[in-house]
Amino acid sequence: MKYDVIVVGSGPAGSVTARFAAEAGAKVLIVERRQEIGTPVLCGEGISRKIDDWDMLEGTRWIAGRMEGARIYSPNGTMVKLSADMAGNETGYVIYRDIFDQELARRAAKAGVKIMMNAQAIGLLKDEGKIKGVKINHFDEERDIEADVIIGADGVESKVGKWADIDTTLKPKDLETCAQYTLTNVDCKDAYCDFYLGKKIAPGGYIWVFPKGKDVANVGIGILASLSEAGMAKKLLDEFIAKDSRFAHAEPVRFLAGAVPVANPIETVRDNLILVGDAARHVDPITGGGLTHCLEIGKIAGEVVGKAVQTQDFSQDFLMEYEMRWKEVIGKKMKRNYRVKETLLDMDDKTFNMLADSLKDYKFEELSTLSLIKALVLKHPTLLMKLRPLMKISE
Amino acid sequence: MGKPKAKVDTKECLACGGCISVCPQDAISWYANKALVDEKGCISCAICIRTCPVGAISGDGAL
Repeated sequence: MKYDVIVVGSGPAGSVTARFAAEAGAKVLIVERRQEIGTPVLCGEGISRKIDDWDMLEGTRWIAGRMEGARIYSPNGTMVKLSADMAGNETGYVIYRDIFDQELARRAAKAGVKIMMNAQAIGLLKDEGKIKGVKINHFDEERDIEADVIIGADGVESKVGKWADIDTTLKPKDLETCAQYTLTNVDCKDAYCDFYLGKKIAPGGYIWVFPKGKDVANVGIGILASLSEAGMAKKLLDEFIAKDSRFAHAEPVRFLAGAVPVANPIETVRDNLILVGDAARHVDPITGGGLTHCLEIGKIAGEVVGKAVQTQDFSQDFLMEYEMRWKEVIGKKMKRNYRVKETLLDMDDKTFNMLADSLKDYKFEELSTLSLIKALVLKHPTLLMKLRPLMKISE
Repeated sequence: MGKPKAKVDTKECLACGGCISVCPQDAISWYANKALVDEKGCISCAICIRTCPVGAISGDGAL
């Protein structure tokens, strides 16, 4: 059995790519190494409300809570607040990622996509160097499945790129290593998402508290792998939880680990192959957020692959339309935010406290990292000299 | 005599994939949905050990 398209991985980027390729008439198969889509969850589960207009998710089963705004705490506890009213109600959701992923897979299935579970990709089928399909291990049995296009949607740990000579190995300074509890019996005072910064709190990253309703919250940490020691993420998170009165009577209902690329963009296209999602490093290097990118760019990937199937042209030249188009969406933002990430990493706690103090009464135009950075550059033109040219680059 | 190789405790591994993504030798892969170090490829650099958020990788592997 030959397919037009094989998607390796059933996360958001894989399912959305598969759906739009199938809607364009392609015969699509998703191979998924796990036995349940969306599980284990590897995510903080926050997403912007801008997805409302994208026709990606139906119903509300995937929504755990609605965010009223965000508070960012500097190392000495100075708070910078971004609220929904100053942001024109444009905030976000805390979601159930397992249901979210399964809803996206359902949309793909409705479009005719086939899904094979317990199917781990172990290599590419090649004929004199030309990619012809995927080798999989399905319930301990090796099988070859042919296809014209392979989509690497296999996450931060992507192997598909490597098999096609795209160097996807991350430097430790370009990876956030994460741990997260879902805690119950928490005293969530409101529906704000809280972020805590500081070299001792979370070196090269932050701790987050995302409420899921009034007494459940995701409490997680991301630290830069280059600043990490074995087990440090979990240890720092445990220390934070032990000291916070909101969690005095809390108990865990889930514990999970995660890994988030905070890297510069990479090449994403070869003959007969493209990369999407975390495999393509489509994650904001400051926030570590990538879900909206998966949906927006997955649609582009599916459309381009669908056209490739219609014209039977699977060359790198043809598929390059995908890379051109994702660069239009996030190329500039990724480059800018990578530079901002490097600038922030050079700052000490004292500087963070000073910056937070200068913004504590600031009225933000919108709830975004861009509006935060713009405010900082405006207030501290000399300190953030290196960032000034970047601010001419708009979203 | 080389240094001991990295070894994943599969009971502790939560399958985040971080170690696989940073291994400079591409010596870590999924096996039964847990990370597994290929001892032949491992150069004992310890990057995966330091990266693991829950401390599931140690330098206790074969010499």
